[in-house]
Amino acid sequence: MSDNALIKVNDLCKYYKGEQIKALDGVSIDIEKGEVVVIIGPSGSGKSTLLRSLNLLEFPTKGSIVFDGTEITDPKININIHRQKMGMVFQHFNLFPHMTIMKNLTIAPIKLLGMKKEDAQAKALELLERVGLADRANAYPSQLSGGQKQRIAIVRALCMEPQVMLFDEPTSALDPEMVGEVLDVMKELAHQGMTMAVVTHEMGFAKEVATRVVFMDEGKILEQGTPEQIFNNPQSDRLKDFLAKVLI
Amino acid sequence: MTFVSFSDWLAQAPAWFQNWPEWIQNFAFQFYQTFIYADRYMFFVNGLKITFIVTIGALILGVIIGLFIAIIRVSHDAVVGKKPNIILRIFNRICIWYLTIIRGTPMMVQLLIMGFVVMVPETETQCVICGIVTLGINSGAYVAEIARSGIMSIDAGQMEAGRSVGFNYVQTMWYVIIPQAFKNILPALGNEMITLLKDTSLVSVIALRDVTKQAQNIVSLTYQAYVPYISLAVIYLVIVIIMTKLLGILERRLRQNER
Repeated sequence: MSDNALIKVNDLCKYYKGEQIKALDGVSIDIEKGEVVVIIGPSGSGKSTLLRSLNLLEFPTKGSIVFDGTEITDPKININIHRQKMGMVFQHFNLFPHMTIMKNLTIAPIKLLGMKKEDAQAKALELLERVGLADRANAYPSQLSGGQKQRIAIVRALCMEPQVMLFDEPTSALDPEMVGEVLDVMKELAHQGMTMAVVTHEMGFAKEVATRVVFMDEGKILEQGTPEQIFNNPQSDRLKDFLAKVLI
Repeated sequence: MTFVSFSDWLAQAPAWFQNWPEWIQNFAFQFYQTFIYADRYMFFVNGLKITFIVTIGALILGVIIGLFIAIIRVSHDAVVGKKPNIILRIFNRICIWYLTIIRGTPMMVQLLIMGFVVMVPETETQCVICGIVTLGINSGAYVAEIARSGIMSIDAGQMEAGRSVGFNYVQTMWYVIIPQAFKNILPALGNEMITLLKDTSLVSVIALRDVTKQAQNIVSLTYQAYVPYISLAVIYLVIVIIMTKLLGILERRLRQNER
């Protein structure tokens, strides 16, 4: 745990209905530059809430998050500036259905980073090329398959040149056949050194790509370590039980 | 000269017309008196100008007010967990009062109050402004609820996606939510536009000479109600049919990307 972590989460809590439901119950975790942190755990364990808290889509009840040296949980800071540096990919893609793919990719860089339209389009096209979807630039999201939509959603986040990418169950809403193409893009991203935080049920991906695996249950981090430690030598009974149920 | 007798009129008609059944001659005479004699079609033309100005003005005002209120109401309700800030709560309260009062009183009564208590217009321009403001405020209340339903119909993930790339709340509303909501509310909005057009027929109570008032004026000149009022109905009907067609075209164009 060094001091120059990209994201430092300290004692994060998220309560609903007073304190009846504790989605996050004192989570502390540091994410270093270049790390690929995969968060696993049973449903309702708070892993999505943690990820969504990182760019304040959920505002925590207690605790602090420091991103790139700025405490973003401070109510006085402008979160929009910091969200620009954090790409987010959702389970249900959330592409803008009324815009073409090209517009989906370029609207934020043009409006927020002040990029010229041609530059933004050139960049978008280059990224589309890399995920193999350059020919769909003028299609609408409804004309794409789920896997294609999710690859576009990844590109949309990349167009803002983020320092970290957050993935919230990116393959859970996909047909089994399409999971691979999305994971391939994520793998490539990881190999290029992108800092990533991924909530997923794809244990294969976690084993292969993660630099660190975090196991959560009931709003707490129960165990974390390298994929070998977590998958081959689990310590807690809860993790052993979980792995026994999910591993293929 | 405001009046010409039936016998005088028939005497100068062409010879072939003299043998036609009397009810047709009578109808033609009324038509002549309503539209042609002393250029009376200009009554309708001038009235339509006022009707259009008031409708379009009130429509724009109504949409602006409605959108504004809808966004306040939605933003207020969207805050979960903690209490919304005090300014938003005050605005929200004001909006609820506005909606209650405007939707709870008749259009006619609102016109009377605005025309004779609040604004008391004197010149014709002032009357037009009074009409636009009253109808706009009235329409705004209905548009607000339509727009609110439209905004709420958009998946919450769209707001999250917009915010996650770094847009602020207003930018996300403007670029992402409202264009999609607009498409969903277009049928209901069209309905409101039609209602608004027809509601302008009430503005004669604040001394505005819209097309309805002008038809009444013709009746008071000719003492014949049949042709002027039926024509009036046809005029409204034709405008509404044209509006419906245009809305249909717009709707189809907006839905192009949904295949």
